[in-house]
Amino acid sequence: MTLENKNFDEVVLMIPHARRLGLRLLEREDDYFVVEMPFTADLEIIPGSGLMANGAITAMLDTVLGAVAYGQFETFRRIVTLDLRVDYFEKPRPFSSVITKCRCLKAMDRVIYVQGDVFCKDEQSPIAHGVAVFSSAEMEARK
Amino acid sequence: MIEAFLSKLKDQQDFDESLEISPYAKMMGFRLVRQDGQLTTVMKFHGDLVGSPFPPALHGGTVAALMEMSALMQLVWNVDQIHIPKTIDITIDYLRSGKPEDTFSKARIYRQGRRYATLHTEAWQSDPAKPIASAMLHFQLG
Repeated sequence: MTLENKNFDEVVLMIPHARRLGLRLLEREDDYFVVEMPFTADLEIIPGSGLMANGAITAMLDTVLGAVAYGQFETFRRIVTLDLRVDYFEKPRPFSSVITKCRCLKAMDRVIYVQGDVFCKDEQSPIAHGVAVFSSAEMEARK
Repeated sequence: MIEAFLSKLKDQQDFDESLEISPYAKMMGFRLVRQDGQLTTVMKFHGDLVGSPFPPALHGGTVAALMEMSALMQLVWNVDQIHIPKTIDITIDYLRSGKPEDTFSKARIYRQGRRYATLHTEAWQSDPAKPIASAMLHFQLG
């Protein structure tokens, strides 16, 4: 299964935490993904504030950056996050959904470098930025 | 509100409290535990935390969220300030795959100045000597 023949939403349905975050694909081109996380009350860090938890944003980035890394290969690969850094520029707009646009910086056989911006409405004013490194390995038969 | 919650706990020696005052923390199954004077944030395992069904493993983002919460709790515990510190950044190293079981995190204040604080955290499962992830965070104070 690759993202070429499975669409993102189907893959997300297989990842319980991504499903719990309500992630859905808005746009996909060859070199980037745009994914939305709709606002829901149980993603609020403080009840009634309308502020989505940083943790949810970090988990969204981890998921979508991983999907970009995964999408770099024709064959099924095991994709593992080596590191992830998230810069939080400003708080999300209250009660607003959060969108991320992620792209691959460089893909090699074993190591994939990816980055993504996070914004609410305006792509030109990001609220966070993530950069991650993933490793990939051919699937091995389990012993 | 979270500060009021914590200040009430400060009078107690040992405790094991759900962080359900925060809807997100409740959804994640976070608990705050104090034992022998040390704070630990716990993420109780449940199915919504899974990132890879076969073989079942925790979603890396949930481990990052746990470590951020543990750093924030440690900082608010130590700093006694009215406003919740703003997270500037987090850098996570993933060390081992997370099993579908409870996960624990402790944070250490590496440096605390007047304006900023730097914290290091680790997350582990059955064996504290084998962390599944570590993270470094910066917070803005005041």
